[in-house]
Amino acid sequence: MAFPLGEGFAGLLSRGLKEELTGRLTDGFLEALLQAMAVFFALSRSYRRQIEGFSATYLFATADGKVAASAVFQEGRMKVIRQMLPQGEVLVTFKDSRSLCAFLLAENQDILASLLSGEVEVDGNLNYLYKFGFMVRDLVRRLKVKR
Amino acid sequence: MSGVSLRDPYLGDCRLSPGLVDLREAYFRARPEICIERARLVTAAYEKFGLFGKERISILDKARVYRYVLEARRAVVLHRQACAEGMRPFSLTDTSTFAGSTTSKFKGVPLYPEFLALALWPELLHVSRRKQNPYYLNEAYIEELNGKIFPRWLDFTIQELARKRYNPPSLKIMERLVFFLASKPTCISHTIPLFSRLITEGLAAIIAEAKEKAAGAADDGRREFYEAIGEVLTGMVSFSENIAAEARLLALSEADPRRKAALLELEAIHRRIPAAPPRTFREGLTAVWLAWIALHLENSNIGLSLGRLDQLLYPLYRSDRENGTLTVDRAVELLGFLWLKIGDHVPLVPEAGEQLFGGSGSNQAITIGGVDRKGADAVNDLTYVILRATELMKLRDPNLNARYHPGINPPEYLRRLCAANRETGATPAIHNDRAVIRALMAKGETIEEARDYGIIGCVEPGSAGRFYGHTGAILLNLPSALELALFNGRHRHCGLDRLISVATGEVSSFKTWEEFKGAFIGQVRWLVDQAVELNNVLGRIHQEVYPTPIMSAFFEGPLEKGRDVIDGGASINASGVAVIGLADVADSLCAVRRVVFQEGSIPFSGLLAALQANFEGYETLRARLNNPEKTPKFGNEDLQAEGEVRFLIELLDDLFGARENYRGGRYRVGYWSMTNHAGFGRLLGAMPSGRKAGESFASGITPVSGAARELTSVLNSLAALPAGRLTGGVALNLKLNLAGLPDPLGLFAATVEGYFDDLGGERDGGLEIQFNVLNRETLVEAVLRPEEYPELLVRVSGYTAYFRDLNPQMQKEIIDRTEYLLGEGRMIPWEPFVFPRERR
Repeated sequence: MAFPLGEGFAGLLSRGLKEELTGRLTDGFLEALLQAMAVFFALSRSYRRQIEGFSATYLFATADGKVAASAVFQEGRMKVIRQMLPQGEVLVTFKDSRSLCAFLLAENQDILASLLSGEVEVDGNLNYLYKFGFMVRDLVRRLKVKR
Repeated sequence: MSGVSLRDPYLGDCRLSPGLVDLREAYFRARPEICIERARLVTAAYEKFGLFGKERISILDKARVYRYVLEARRAVVLHRQACAEGMRPFSLTDTSTFAGSTTSKFKGVPLYPEFLALALWPELLHVSRRKQNPYYLNEAYIEELNGKIFPRWLDFTIQELARKRYNPPSLKIMERLVFFLASKPTCISHTIPLFSRLITEGLAAIIAEAKEKAAGAADDGRREFYEAIGEVLTGMVSFSENIAAEARLLALSEADPRRKAALLELEAIHRRIPAAPPRTFREGLTAVWLAWIALHLENSNIGLSLGRLDQLLYPLYRSDRENGTLTVDRAVELLGFLWLKIGDHVPLVPEAGEQLFGGSGSNQAITIGGVDRKGADAVNDLTYVILRATELMKLRDPNLNARYHPGINPPEYLRRLCAANRETGATPAIHNDRAVIRALMAKGETIEEARDYGIIGCVEPGSAGRFYGHTGAILLNLPSALELALFNGRHRHCGLDRLISVATGEVSSFKTWEEFKGAFIGQVRWLVDQAVELNNVLGRIHQEVYPTPIMSAFFEGPLEKGRDVIDGGASINASGVAVIGLADVADSLCAVRRVVFQEGSIPFSGLLAALQANFEGYETLRARLNNPEKTPKFGNEDLQAEGEVRFLIELLDDLFGARENYRGGRYRVGYWSMTNHAGFGRLLGAMPSGRKAGESFASGITPVSGAARELTSVLNSLAALPAGRLTGGVALNLKLNLAGLPDPLGLFAATVEGYFDDLGGERDGGLEIQFNVLNRETLVEAVLRPEEYPELLVRVSGYTAYFRDLNPQMQKEIIDRTEYLLGEGRMIPWEPFVFPRERR
């Protein structure tokens, strides 16, 4: 069931992600994505259920280091940190927001193109990335973003 | 004594029964549905027995898991519903003579969370709607997979355990996708189990033996092993009893007396089988089918193969025929029903995999014909009955492979095999017994073992029931070795600023051909080292956490030694490598040698610039490189080209053959590609052969499309290769057009006979040949109007597939394969097919 997106706090924060997904992707895509996820985990019980008992740290960074963030899942919450933590289950290094978006959300060969062109590299446990991929797509579904 | 008594080996009067026609129609209508039953039960069993996080899972642990699953599984006797295009459910009348299924669905996709199932996770929400080969999945299953099943396996898949425990650098190399793929994170499977004791003694006898051996075992390891065998076989018997009970329940509520009787008959069979030895042909097929279900519980559904069914089941068939209880029509019907059961599952291919490698079935090979262990003609009536059933059913699974021994099998049998290819368009593949047996003996098998080979997966020969070879353990992208040699250890897909392998020198500095070849050999060696290291690490993980009691119960060796097949219990151990891109690399080596070093018509730096530009602006050079009259090409009986192919084959056989696998066996090399020649091809830039970036490589061991214009030259080039170096199997793909021939079968058979001929020992003769007896127009039509060709069967490179299931690149590759006019023995000229924009 889609999260009832109102004009409140959640709406405001996820609006950034919607704008990124429906308009031109900017360097702010990663942060918008992670923040929207964090908010939805906080507010939606059904969305939150998938991180109950789940502990993991995801690290994201562009190859040039201009964009970096960590997502920490612990005790049913998601915390976004605007820097790379020293350790995590999986590290995703990406060229730019377009390649990260294609990698996480593509329904066609973009995911391959991203991997093969070296636009995205993954180090660590791929299974955690698979789970993250589901959570991202689930979020987009709940936001009812038409891409 | 000949086992052939049929007056008409074509069985032209034999047709599918109405019940089988209906069920086949439902089969084609049904789209695959994801089944979570196995994943759910295995996860529950792991919890129950405390196996998550265990450093080492014993064979007895695993056996308890499988027994639990076998006993808890739903015993499906009749399927009543399936899912059609667009997730529309439809009812069906299941008249099959066999009960039980590998999944709970009519056509299911089983999930193996120990292997690759978690790769489906990001796709759960849209896999039902994806463009290429969707799998249907309901909301409740999504919820359960996302919420309960997948999270439990996050840290425990084979690939993750390999990373966590050993973290080999080769794993990162594989994850770049352009160098090689090791298939152990997905399966081992590729082998032929031994069913002879199941047929002659039944499982109760093996259970009793295991019990006795456990009691007298010399050590705990062996005791556990035998107890494990007893556990899984007892689970199998229980599963069959559950089917019997379900059949009885259904019979009680069945009003139709015929259906009631059929259900009671099913009940009676499952009360006996598989504990007791089968007495009839149908019981024999049932026993094999039940073992097949159990084996697929343990071994993922990729390449597990059934072996020589016409030999195994012939005594039961003959006995039924002699006592008048079985007609040929009924035998064909039974096989038809079994074929549908064998095809009741589809392997899981994630979205990214679909783009590269999609369209494959489970590649369950069946082998017919050839010679027996004493070297006598083994073709019998059942061989022809199996052929007829395959011809009438026209399914991609099972993948039928026929053995033909020149001089021993009757010529009319070969003609019959050609007729089946004409009828189906794509099957069976034909293997040359004389060459294959010699080749296997060159690897140390006894003559009796070699004569008893069956085909595994696509085209790989292995002594049936005793060869644990994991054929296809490594899929090696050979053109990547060339790429690394051309760019001094760098690869265009990874960025030329990054050293991937070893620096073997800038090609522009090479003064001689030998220097360049030395660099190439260095890169091949590096690639082989990486692939072997990773396969061995993954093999060790299998040994640590994935023992295989069910396979071990159906194999020659483990019961005698008290050792699991995964630990080297089989009589014959090996690992298999499939090399992709052989002809493209050979042609490229020829091109470099000719234009750079022999003629000096372009400096190496100029050739590299042309490759970097994908030949844009270098059209004249490309035309020259593509012209077999100016640049040697494999498939034209050109000595230089054949020399390069032979050099590559010997190099790879030497490098791999010298390496030991984790079970103490050696590596065997083959040349078959499934759809990987299209997938890998898509990932590589332009090559010196004139191939442009992204184009498919040549399939299997086949010459590059369009490079060889005369059919006889192609066959002679292939027949001259050293069979003993090709023991991992080869796929020679030929597209034949039989137009204009009054007696096409005569010439067809003579062509195969000539290809197999060893010319009195002058050469080994071709090992294998497979066909698409289709013309280009039909294939193009099938692209444009796929809805009109839902059943069009094609030979890919090893297995058969439904053309509509292949991705566009693979469809194009098959359309653009060289088509030979058999009557004239020459290539039909063609223009490369351009895919309609909307279908790309």
